[in-house]
Amino acid sequence: MTCIIVTCVRVRFWREVFKMNFIILACICSIFVTQTIAQGRTLILLDNQVIRETHSIFFKSLQERGYNLTFKVADDSTLLLSKYGESLYDNLIIFAPSVEEFGGSLNVETLTQFIDEGGNILIAGSSITGDVLRELASECGFEVDEEGALVIDHHNYDYSDEGQHTKLVINNENLIDSEVIIGQPRKNIAPLLYEGTGLLADADNPLVLPLITGYSSSYSYIPDQKIKEYPHAVGKNILLIAGLQARNNARVIFSGSLAFFSDELFTSPVKHALSNEEYKKSGNQDVAIALSQWVFKEHGQLRVKSVNHHKATETKPPVDYTIMDDAVYNIEVEILNGGKWEPFIANDIQLEFVRIDPFIRTTLKKTHNGNYEAKFKIPDVYGVYQFKVDYDRVGYTRLYSTTQVSVRPLQHTQYERFIFSAYPYYTGAFSMMIGVFLFSFVFLHFKDEDKKSKSD
Amino acid sequence: MFKCSFSGFFLLTYLICGINGSIKGYISPTDSKKFISILSKSFSDDNLDFSSIYYGVTGYNILNEKIDVQIVKKACDFIQKNFKYGDDVEIILHVFSAWSKLGCTGKIQKEDTLKFLHNAIVNEKSSMADLRFAAEVLKLVGEGVPNPAKLALLLQSKLKEDDSLHNLGHAIHASVLLGSNGKFALDRVEDVVVQLDEVNGKLLQWEGGLSTTSLLLTGLLNLPNSKPFTQIQADKIANYLLTRKTVQTSKGIVALLEAIKSLTTSSVSPVSIGVIGKPIVFIEKPDLKVRVSDLFGAPLKPVPGPVVAVSATRLVDDVVVLSKQPLSAGSGQSEFVLPLHLDPDHYQIVLSVGSHTATLYVRVLGPVNMKSFEIGLSDIDGTSAPRLTALEYPNKLGQPLQADSSNVLVAKFALSKPIHQAFLRLYSPKKEIVFIAEQDNNKIYKVEVNLNSELTYSGSFDIELILGDPVMSNPIKWNMAKIDLNLGKDESEVKSFKGPKPEIKHLFRQAEKRPSPTVSLFFSILTALPLLLLVILWLKIGLNFANFSIVSLPFHFGFGSILCLFLCFWLKLDMFTTCAWLIPLGAFTFLSGHKVLSRVACSKKTEKKE
Repeated sequence: MTCIIVTCVRVRFWREVFKMNFIILACICSIFVTQTIAQGRTLILLDNQVIRETHSIFFKSLQERGYNLTFKVADDSTLLLSKYGESLYDNLIIFAPSVEEFGGSLNVETLTQFIDEGGNILIAGSSITGDVLRELASECGFEVDEEGALVIDHHNYDYSDEGQHTKLVINNENLIDSEVIIGQPRKNIAPLLYEGTGLLADADNPLVLPLITGYSSSYSYIPDQKIKEYPHAVGKNILLIAGLQARNNARVIFSGSLAFFSDELFTSPVKHALSNEEYKKSGNQDVAIALSQWVFKEHGQLRVKSVNHHKATETKPPVDYTIMDDAVYNIEVEILNGGKWEPFIANDIQLEFVRIDPFIRTTLKKTHNGNYEAKFKIPDVYGVYQFKVDYDRVGYTRLYSTTQVSVRPLQHTQYERFIFSAYPYYTGAFSMMIGVFLFSFVFLHFKDEDKKSKSD
Repeated sequence: MFKCSFSGFFLLTYLICGINGSIKGYISPTDSKKFISILSKSFSDDNLDFSSIYYGVTGYNILNEKIDVQIVKKACDFIQKNFKYGDDVEIILHVFSAWSKLGCTGKIQKEDTLKFLHNAIVNEKSSMADLRFAAEVLKLVGEGVPNPAKLALLLQSKLKEDDSLHNLGHAIHASVLLGSNGKFALDRVEDVVVQLDEVNGKLLQWEGGLSTTSLLLTGLLNLPNSKPFTQIQADKIANYLLTRKTVQTSKGIVALLEAIKSLTTSSVSPVSIGVIGKPIVFIEKPDLKVRVSDLFGAPLKPVPGPVVAVSATRLVDDVVVLSKQPLSAGSGQSEFVLPLHLDPDHYQIVLSVGSHTATLYVRVLGPVNMKSFEIGLSDIDGTSAPRLTALEYPNKLGQPLQADSSNVLVAKFALSKPIHQAFLRLYSPKKEIVFIAEQDNNKIYKVEVNLNSELTYSGSFDIELILGDPVMSNPIKWNMAKIDLNLGKDESEVKSFKGPKPEIKHLFRQAEKRPSPTVSLFFSILTALPLLLLVILWLKIGLNFANFSIVSLPFHFGFGSILCLFLCFWLKLDMFTTCAWLIPLGAFTFLSGHKVLSRVACSKKTEKKE
């Protein structure tokens, strides 16, 4: 009887073990799977499900690029950005201009925390931008114009404008001049259509990028009201679409127009109402997709692959440098392109040799693909220095690499020994030495003959 | 005379006209063209399959577009060649439906397939969609639905299991085919209509997007003896459908077109009233063309009533400027013309067609003229009269204005009509500042710019006047003058945060200046001279080394080598090696020196004794 029970237990035990193994295996598998698609986990918050259909081209292009999209209505009570301290999404799209308060655990604090943790956000507002988006915008350094305000331009509106001159034709010269962000040279881009509110940003904020700006003749105001107060945003200071690259390289784009990303403006032709210049298709699709590629870090992500430094005569990093040594510094930089790290080509990467202040700043020379080199003479001041590469360019993530080295003064044997102007001193010393030698000889062995004769 | 309150008037019109609204959009020829271009891709070689042919041909049919004969032949051949036997009911429907819509001649293999369908339609495991599609195919090939009563029961039992919107849609579609047996679906109509979601108070749709909405809408409207929607609901559904005009797949286009078609052919066909082209008329060309049509842009048959402009109201002050004016027929059957002999402004026009009304917002555009313009400088404390120069548009001020911190820039101008945007812009290549002109009591626009507080540094600025308004047909940008400003402050350097920084080169400490080699050589010789002098004098007075003995030789040898060691130290050795050598040498010299000295002392003692 007991024997049977024992076998029974044993069978059950092995079955359990087998089950455990299977679970572990499944876990490992799922980890691999989630890691391969982890890059593109994107939460999309919408005002209503109709937006999903009216902006289908934009969402489809994201899907085709491998993003895993989750659509939610912005006041859904189950919204959650992170679970057990792990972010559930890498990217966030908020196409919900009118939302006054997010559902679930989402609020301005969790969203700023999301950015602080490196998450990217694409936000679109409109003339009825809700309070929560305004707050979020001001956390990012933008200011959204008051409710009901639209960007108006009586000199640059589209033929299809409904009458308030708020459907603007934006020339490619109003785009930021950065191929990384807008995907192609800006002169190749057809005019854009824009209908939405204006944004403002502090011009001195180094993190904010004016991606698309207004014309000199544009202003942001409530169209039906007479202008009594000075408009919040006027002329080229109006930002239509603004970008932010935070210090942790998280990226945020705030667009004053949700319609900018819509199928309707993607596919509609452009005809400037006054100059009658015509284009078959607006540049919205190209620019919107390029902006999404930038904001979700498909473009312009840099990294340092390797750093090496040594004396000109050696190949390995020394323990320390002596002042006035010839040093060689090498850095290899890569850029993420289509999911692969490729050599980064540029001609303006600079190296600084810093002891509190930079002593030397020199442009690195390209040696081969993605490898840059600088040769220079270490300054004649000793101390603890850093080799510093701080590459901060519009559209690229900030590349920052420091390597600390110590620079010591000359050893006593390393000074100059035969100085021509010191020859009088040398001769003085040596003549004295010879003199002493001779004198000692004379002094010891000289025999005074006079004394002898006297005593004689 | 027309001054009655706006809201009261509105109430009146509604009481007269009933409460039916209308919608603005419709499937315009450009939309049709877009659809056709997407649909035509369904016939291209690389993605030809049964479903794409079905969607292509259905879309073309609804839009009344002819398909090219070559393409018809190609599609027919494709179906005939590739269709042998189907086991996906939806694909089977697509095949047979496309076959009949294309009007293909020839035979298609169908015996096995029909057998399969007969099995499927009585099978309890078939899904709702499969049952509906099977019934449709059987009807299409002319066999009729076998045993409709049994199928009706099967559908009902399926609905009990799962009455999602999707299933309901298919059940309603199937019930239409069952004749009197399909009456059970009528009970469900209300239930389905209640589930409509309203968006922004303007749109109505069923959850699930375009395909679900289309499925349910076509089903409900196909049901005999039912009137599922009110006119308002139909209008809102039409509004939703029209927002989906940008759909990009042929499947979506067919869903959209089928839905719109069934709405148009129903009793609640929405009336689309809109302006042809843009809602703008010019003073020179005051005819406003209005389109009154169904959703496909076709004229209404029968026309529900005469087209009348019930009223036109100026938006600024709610003054009624026009009432009860009938529209004359235009060039097309759906086109009507309303001449608007009005001043440039925004107007709201209420149109009525039978019981349908529409509110249109129309602008009458006209030019705005500059009656006068003056620009100049005045003093900040207002002591002297401003020195203003009159200018004619579009002339330019000949001389740049010369201003300093005590001046105020003044511009005054009068326009034929108040406008929204009257800006004065000062700009240099790097900076621009916009000032807003304000109208005073005499309707004169005035800008005063306190140069000292508004501008931070000296420079030369262009002055530009920007005038614009929604109803201004000639927006003006007039660069009329230049101003040279001297504030005594220069522009501060703009720090750039990004981009390469200036290079820094370390300045090494300059080597100290040294005397020339000749001088050094001269002094070296001079330093060596005393020793030379010593040797020469010694030789002259004569020396005798009678005291020399061989015993003192080691001492001199030791002493000499210490000095030589010092020479080597200078030439190449370092201190540690020197010390290492010095210890034995020093010891040896010390001992030998001691010997020498003791000997000297000894000899001196003996001498004294002597």
